Amino acid sequence: MLKEIQKSLFKKKATVLYPFKERERVHIPEGFRGKIVFDRDKCTGCLLCARFCPSGACEIVTDEKGKRPIFHLELCLFCSQCQEVCPKGAINLTKEFELAAFDRKAFTIR
Amino acid sequence: MDFLLELLQILVFPGILFAIGLAFVYEWLDRKIYARLQNRVGPLYTGPSGILQPFADFIKLLAKEDVVPNEVDKPLFNALPIFALTLSLTGFLALPITGLRGVISFNGDLIFLITLMTLICIVIMYSGISSANRFSTVGAERAALQLLGYEIPMMLSAISIGILASSMWVYDIVSIQANGGWFLIGPGILGFAIFVLCGQAELERIPFDIPEAETEIVAGWLTEFSGRKLALFRLTKNVELLYLSGLVVALFLGGPSGPVMPGLEFILYPLYFLLKTLFVLFLLTTLRALFARLRIDQMVNFSWKYLVPLAILQVLIVRLVV
Amino acid sequence: MQEEELQKTEKKSAYELFFDIPVGPQHPALKEPAFFKFRVEGERVVGVDVDVSYNHRGIERALEDRNYIQNIYLIERICGICNVAHTLCYAQAVEQLHGKEIPPRANYIRLMMEELARIHSHMLWLGVAAHEIGFDTLFMYVWRDREVVMDLIEMLTGNRVTTAVNTIGGVRRDVSNEAKDKVKKGMNVLEERLKYYRKVALNDPTVNARCSGVGILKPKDAIRLCAVGPTLRASGVKNDVRKDDPYTLHDEVPFNVITFDTMDVFARVLVRIDETLESVNMVRYCLDHMPNGDVRIKLPLSPPVGEAISRVEAPRGELIHYARSNGTKNPERYKVRTPTFENLPSVSEMLTSKSDYEVNIADIPIILASIDPCFSCTARMEFRDVSKGKTWIWSLKELKAHCSKSRR
Repeated sequence: MLKEIQKSLFKKKATVLYPFKERERVHIPEGFRGKIVFDRDKCTGCLLCARFCPSGACEIVTDEKGKRPIFHLELCLFCSQCQEVCPKGAINLTKEFELAAFDRKAFTIR
Repeated sequence: MDFLLELLQILVFPGILFAIGLAFVYEWLDRKIYARLQNRVGPLYTGPSGILQPFADFIKLLAKEDVVPNEVDKPLFNALPIFALTLSLTGFLALPITGLRGVISFNGDLIFLITLMTLICIVIMYSGISSANRFSTVGAERAALQLLGYEIPMMLSAISIGILASSMWVYDIVSIQANGGWFLIGPGILGFAIFVLCGQAELERIPFDIPEAETEIVAGWLTEFSGRKLALFRLTKNVELLYLSGLVVALFLGGPSGPVMPGLEFILYPLYFLLKTLFVLFLLTTLRALFARLRIDQMVNFSWKYLVPLAILQVLIVRLVV
Repeated sequence: MQEEELQKTEKKSAYELFFDIPVGPQHPALKEPAFFKFRVEGERVVGVDVDVSYNHRGIERALEDRNYIQNIYLIERICGICNVAHTLCYAQAVEQLHGKEIPPRANYIRLMMEELARIHSHMLWLGVAAHEIGFDTLFMYVWRDREVVMDLIEMLTGNRVTTAVNTIGGVRRDVSNEAKDKVKKGMNVLEERLKYYRKVALNDPTVNARCSGVGILKPKDAIRLCAVGPTLRASGVKNDVRKDDPYTLHDEVPFNVITFDTMDVFARVLVRIDETLESVNMVRYCLDHMPNGDVRIKLPLSPPVGEAISRVEAPRGELIHYARSNGTKNPERYKVRTPTFENLPSVSEMLTSKSDYEVNIADIPIILASIDPCFSCTARMEFRDVSKGKTWIWSLKELKAHCSKSRR
């Protein structure tokens, strides 16, 4: 163990000083399940997303185009089930993961 | 004037203020080195490279609510943190820093210095018992057992140095080393190893952090202390760390002595002291990173099976040399 | 041990100086919703009382309210660390209800994900165990190297922990060729590191001192108390669902069942490290032999009426799921048997001093940790008085007493 300890004294630190420095060291791979992006124009209102959402993050509201989902990120599990079932590809999960906000409105995706 | 100077020495440099300030820096260094050994970064944001973190922790604790549980022995519970800090600061005053003599210096003060450490341990024991908490009681019990383990080899290795110098006066020990070379390089090497290991036990650091083993008995004897009292105890531990490394330096590394230009002693001596204590601190921190915590029976076993015979051997070696 | 038995030990000591030490739910060694009351005499533990009913989540009931697809994600959240094992078990049970086989490539991916999760779980455990014995340096190193496998899981599935990779009828994501290369590289790094940790565990004197001869569970007791998983294998019993009742492709992918005969915590450490090394080889085998083809078949939402049981070797031991379908889109009954609950009797056996073997207070954390406890799934029974807003829990004895009272 002594050797390993001596080695790590001169090794690069394993800690990523994430929020303030070294942001670029945070590597997010392709296909990461992050913030939901919803393309309203593609949506046909089939409501499959609401039917399969495990946590009730997908709410159905009626507006001028008919029944459309809105997504509540504070309830979302980021399982991407909605993305999977959406027949039109209107729902996508992006690589964005820094979702903290002071305003609740920021959590609602329309 | 002499009186004022002495007061200044006790209160500011190299006395209480210096000790407390340095203690914070040493805690920071300890944490930083420990973190680097573990491939982490350690304290980072308070001050440059987090150097103010221990101080910030201290201030934070001072401001926190000070809870005194109903069941505790109140006078003892309130007084013990102050006792502990006083003891460790007194010890620091007796260390040679600015010259070959400490602020307090008298013939036989080596015994006094070692006894101070025992007293700190006894204070710890009392604080555990006075807390009237199950975890604290177990911690106090362990502190007492551990004391039985490490004190005798520690004492023996200190005494072997006394024999080498034919004096129990730290001043004599340091000045002999200043003229004739460090005791570490020579007959004192075994004693050095024993003393550092026992020092680790005295400071309750891994592998001997048994009385306050976090995962086993929460915080051991410290469990019930909060706010100001906890702050004082933490400060005590830091000053003790400084004091112990200073003692190791005085006994084995020639104290603050070193090559000096005449007229610059008052700068160079403290500088040498700092460099040497840093070396000891580094050793102590490496030891802390290297091992798992021992169990109390294993610790006492280890100490009586290996440390005590080795310490006796050290005394014998020294006797042959002298 | 039950409360009454604890009472019996009250005055048997020569010193009559017993006292109780509470461990959990708020204790640095056990940050889990469980409570262990230890009766100690000085440093010696003479009795232990276990209470695991702090956090009843009602998952089995909740499963009956959701459809089969939604349940995947709820099942996954029974336990964060064994999420792959849970979803695998669930998917197998539902596929059994449907009576359908999944494509071979999906099976390979499932097995690979399961083993990656096992590597992740065992390395996490190794770090926790090192922390429990005060070896923080080892803890930091192991968790640093665990990041390798975490990153691989993130790359393959899109999330670090809750992978959501198994679904009914296959897996949700395919493995691309470049991902394969990355996984292979990661496996090489992990193998080297794991061999190093094996060396550390074998050679470090303090680790040896803290782990050998501690937490002994004899094979006879292990079988009697229904221990499962690495806890059982460390007692020298060759038992592994992957070998005994192969699912996915465990009959095809070669691996050894690791057992040790020292029966103590040290054996559990080595069993887990060796199992992780086996898992590394299994992942490699999967990558090399993966056939081309689909990774998923489409199945209807509602399975036909029927019952199914599926077994999976989760990182902590044998996991059993039982499902009953009534033909609708929600399961009629779902039952989960989790490994930690099965291991609790053995842990109280390990924690009790006997004539030939002593338990110290210092051994409590590492023995508790040695079964790799995951208390998120252990709460069992709870009563709620809505009018008073009070919640309480009854033991079997109290329940019987209540029944006899009400009969009168």
